[in-house]
Amino acid sequence: MFGSVVRVVGDEELIRRVAEGDDRALSELYDRYSRPVYATGIRVLGDASLAEELVQDAFTSVWRAAGSFDPGRASFTTWLYRITRNRAVDLNRRRRVRPVSVGEEPLRNVSGGPEPEGGVDGWDVARALSRIPEEHREVLTLAYFEGLSQREISRRINVPLGTIKSRSTAALKRLHRSLVSPGAEESGHE
Amino acid sequence: MSEDRFEGLLGSYLLGELSVEEERELEDHLAGCSECRDELARARQAHAVLQELAAGGPPPELKTRVLARVRGEIPARSRDGWRLWVPAAAALLLVVILGIWLIQSTIRDSPDEVVLSATALAPKASGDLRGEKKGENFQIELEVRELPRLHEDEYYEMWYAREDGGRISCGTFRAQPGGQTTVNLTAPASAVSYPIIEVTREPDDGDPGSSGEKVLVGDLRSL
Repeated sequence: MFGSVVRVVGDEELIRRVAEGDDRALSELYDRYSRPVYATGIRVLGDASLAEELVQDAFTSVWRAAGSFDPGRASFTTWLYRITRNRAVDLNRRRRVRPVSVGEEPLRNVSGGPEPEGGVDGWDVARALSRIPEEHREVLTLAYFEGLSQREISRRINVPLGTIKSRSTAALKRLHRSLVSPGAEESGHE
Repeated sequence: MSEDRFEGLLGSYLLGELSVEEERELEDHLAGCSECRDELARARQAHAVLQELAAGGPPPELKTRVLARVRGEIPARSRDGWRLWVPAAAALLLVVILGIWLIQSTIRDSPDEVVLSATALAPKASGDLRGEKKGENFQIELEVRELPRLHEDEYYEMWYAREDGGRISCGTFRAQPGGQTTVNLTAPASAVSYPIIEVTREPDDGDPGSSGEKVLVGDLRSL
């Protein structure tokens, strides 16, 4: 049921395309990683508007520096995390961090970047999502990040409701496997 | 209901998408099936981390702003090739821009204009912004004159800023040889709290932060 071969464009392939000026590839990377970048901003900077600046700065840096990315030295996630951390430090240095206000509480368990000291953080989840087949990532993204009901997802992507229901289960199981056994998903990459 | 059918409902169960009848049937099945309970436990872990990640996402309009910013720029690997086209590319880069503004007065449907003032770094420069609300966004036109000539590895960048130092880039551009150009941009409605307009001279060093070398400034609160 979960062994079907579905091509998944890996992060490293996407950043290669970004280096060639493909902004659709940047858009895909943004969809995969803007949440952990933003969560890091909330955690480090304690302010939603500064976290937005961090997201903007980080992905602008990705665009500008894509050609210097070397997959032999680090994974894309590690590279992006370093960019995010460095930009957050710069923002923190330049501006006085305002107190956390209502609705801006830092995320719990978003702390360690792509190599956390323990537990699962937003970077792990985003990276795990990037490794699962697109049809699985799509149904999870629409359900959890866009808040669509399964019936709405069915209409949006023109797939029968019954398929969406079974695909949701399959996608959650696939994501769990990607989280606990990252290596098992690598073979699905393009 | 078959075993596979029950298993296929686990995702919908976690998402609260089952009918009362389906939910009751599934829970009855789970009570007697350890294999499905194990599957549910694994799916629930994935469900929980997704819920947590979803709860902390950036506002949707930020993506539009980020992509608008980079679409006027050339990524690193492509940059050298483009430099061979500098005169033509400059015209393309002019299209880049964008900025914002937003304060109560800009929310009117009629166009407004903000005059930008020169700084010591560009005493002859001048410029103005015109904005008009179009749906949820603002269409902004930036016109500049007599900006200093840039080196090949420099560009101009327009920002909206706050007094506490917060700053959002609207986009980058280069001017014609005489230092003049007019660029158009779309500003999202989320920049309401950034009433100061700045145009800065930026080195092409990969640092997305502001250089602080302001050549034009304006204040939307003067409207």
